Amino acid sequence: MTFKSTLKSTATGAALIFAVSGFHTALAQGGPPFGESGKAKAFPGIPEGTVEAMGGEAGINLWVKQLFHYILLDYRIAPIFIEHGNIERQIALNTQLVQRVLGAGNEYLGASMSAAHGDLGITMEEFNAVVEAAYNACDAVSFHYYQCNQIIAGLAPFTFDIVTQ
Amino acid sequence: MNPVSNFSKRPTPKTLLLGMCLMLWSFAAWSQYDDGKVLLTGGVGSIDGAGGGGITPWAVINGYGTRDGINAGVRYTFAYLPDYSLNSISLNIGFYDRLELSYAYSVLPTGGTFDTLGLVFDLLNDTVASGIEPFNTTIKMDIYGAKLRLFGDAVYNSQSLIPQVAIGGFYKENKNKVLLKTLQANKAKDWEGYISATKIFFPISTLFNVTARYTSANQTGLTGFGGGDKNDREIRFEGSIAHLLNKRTAVGVEYAQRGDNLDDRSVALGNEGNINLTPITNLLSGLGLNIGNTLTQLDESDWMDVFVAFAPSKNLSFTFAYAMLGNITLTPDQQGFYASFQASF
Repeated sequence: MTFKSTLKSTATGAALIFAVSGFHTALAQGGPPFGESGKAKAFPGIPEGTVEAMGGEAGINLWVKQLFHYILLDYRIAPIFIEHGNIERQIALNTQLVQRVLGAGNEYLGASMSAAHGDLGITMEEFNAVVEAAYNACDAVSFHYYQCNQIIAGLAPFTFDIVTQ
Repeated sequence: MNPVSNFSKRPTPKTLLLGMCLMLWSFAAWSQYDDGKVLLTGGVGSIDGAGGGGITPWAVINGYGTRDGINAGVRYTFAYLPDYSLNSISLNIGFYDRLELSYAYSVLPTGGTFDTLGLVFDLLNDTVASGIEPFNTTIKMDIYGAKLRLFGDAVYNSQSLIPQVAIGGFYKENKNKVLLKTLQANKAKDWEGYISATKIFFPISTLFNVTARYTSANQTGLTGFGGGDKNDREIRFEGSIAHLLNKRTAVGVEYAQRGDNLDDRSVALGNEGNINLTPITNLLSGLGLNIGNTLTQLDESDWMDVFVAFAPSKNLSFTFAYAMLGNITLTPDQQGFYASFQASF
């Protein structure tokens, strides 16, 4: 067997295994998407010290404030958040939530994402609009893109609780 | 080689029909227009027309439409190689982030070795139809594609290794039957099927894709399908890795296995491939022109490229790459730059 044919066979087998992994639960991380401390189980893992690298609670709070700044500028999603009311409280709770999913181990005092969003009929476009606002907020507070992606990775599991339409 | 002239001729009925379909679609589908995906998450486009990387389809549905709407894109791709220049225009439409339809028209003007062969074959008084004309050999191919997303989420399912998986297929019609016969391909038209698995891992800002393609294509169909009297399909591996540098820019590499249907086959002239080229090659060797090996096709090389993709907005994206395509039928060392421009709407 030549090297080329060996490579073909090996790579083809790997491709097929990856492609059919949806039928094989052993290749999926089992259980809930968050650990006991609330940290997201994003593969291959959110680095330790991510919250500290972003300025701790103060840095995350600054980012969340910018997030809401961009959310309230977006006609697609601003009405949803305005209707929910008490923006300052939403900022405070989201500061807790983001720290928690990034592994800070703090307490989150708000409602679950499914409870908070279940009746809102959020679409994927609206969810993605918040993600875009998240990236804009990262630029505004000078978080590096790679740091921003840790936030996205931490919050991504909530997609399926938030997007109900 | 004149890459532009082949696109500037009078519109064919097929082109007019495509244009009418586009107009009708634009009126009917405007209410369903959707561009809600995040930048770069719809992929760019492959030379076959499907959404994905430059040379391999991905499991993502091209365009920015979410599951609530429709989005489309048009793309022009140009690759400049030592003996060829590939020009491709394609259109794809994504329906509800579930189904993608695509069409691509590829034009491959040739030069160098094909020009030399064309001159040689002209010595046979034009009675032998080789499909190779000196300074005027262009390979053209229509590619019709469809892709269906089966399950999984490439973007947000970050806690799971389960990728987004899609199946798809192409039907390719090469217009150069005579040339393909000269190159000893078995067929000028054929279908391909593939399955792709794609996943973005945000903690490392990197996308991975693997594709298994079931095909008998030679050079993606540009030199036909199969070889001799056989058209045996096989599974070939393709892969992409794209690293996201920022929300608008990605860099990466791609790899695509190729076949060996035409490896070491000589060009065949005459209806039965029975024209003896030895006197010609001997004559030219006596004049110091050794083209004996030129008439034997080289082992088809696997393709690789390194690329950078940039999307300044959801309506526009650019991809630049350096493509290493190796041997293409009679010509070695085909590598060069590639550029692709996509407009989404």
